[in-house]
Amino acid sequence: MSSRRPRSRQSGASHITGDQMADLLSKLQQLIPEISSRSSHKSSASKVLQETCNYIRNLHQEVDDLSHRLSGLLQSTDADSAQATIIRSLLM
Amino acid sequence: MKNPNTLKKKLASRFLKAMKKLKYKMSPSPPASIAEKKRRHRAVRAAAYASMASAVGPRRAWSRALLRKMKGRKRARRNPGNMNTRFGLNHLCDIVPGGEAMDSCSLLNETAHYIKCLVAQVQIMREILHSSSSSSTIL
Repeated sequence: MSSRRPRSRQSGASHITGDQMADLLSKLQQLIPEISSRSSHKSSASKVLQETCNYIRNLHQEVDDLSHRLSGLLQSTDADSAQATIIRSLLM
Repeated sequence: MKNPNTLKKKLASRFLKAMKKLKYKMSPSPPASIAEKKRRHRAVRAAAYASMASAVGPRRAWSRALLRKMKGRKRARRNPGNMNTRFGLNHLCDIVPGGEAMDSCSLLNETAHYIKCLVAQVQIMREILHSSSSSSTIL
């Protein structure tokens, strides 16, 4: 899918200008480790969007994987001490 | 913009509470069947997204969408005259909760916030795992 430079003349629900789009995309770009580490200059819009989708999918997958491992922890008594440690470290 | 530490603390406390609740609900013995294991896995995953959504509350469209989903409410109306496809956002609006009802500008904003919360949630889950394994193993 290609990205077209949006024209502000379009009518519709969202009057988004090209500059707004570029701003939002660069903000996203900074959040994604894949892109922000590689190049300091702007990637194309479609590249940013593609990497964003991939990144979110990966994060979903990580949540799933970590949930799986945590569910194995549930019956152990160590979960309580883990909780205390976490709370302590987060409150520092 | 929200202080990331405050967010993380909020996320952590809610998720830990949810985990504690789950622990008491489940039988103390290790899961006998694969079905039971799957059930626990799904319960933890649901707790992760639920604590994300409730920690953020109604302030964000994506968290509202997740909260609606959890309560079994109907989805928000689709964005009429959806402009998302014009800018190649059609995949993104399927991935971000509530994305289909957002205009392009909101979608990008919501995505940024959603990513931040997901990253924090993943960090918390890793930390819980790490601290439990380090306290129980002999290296």
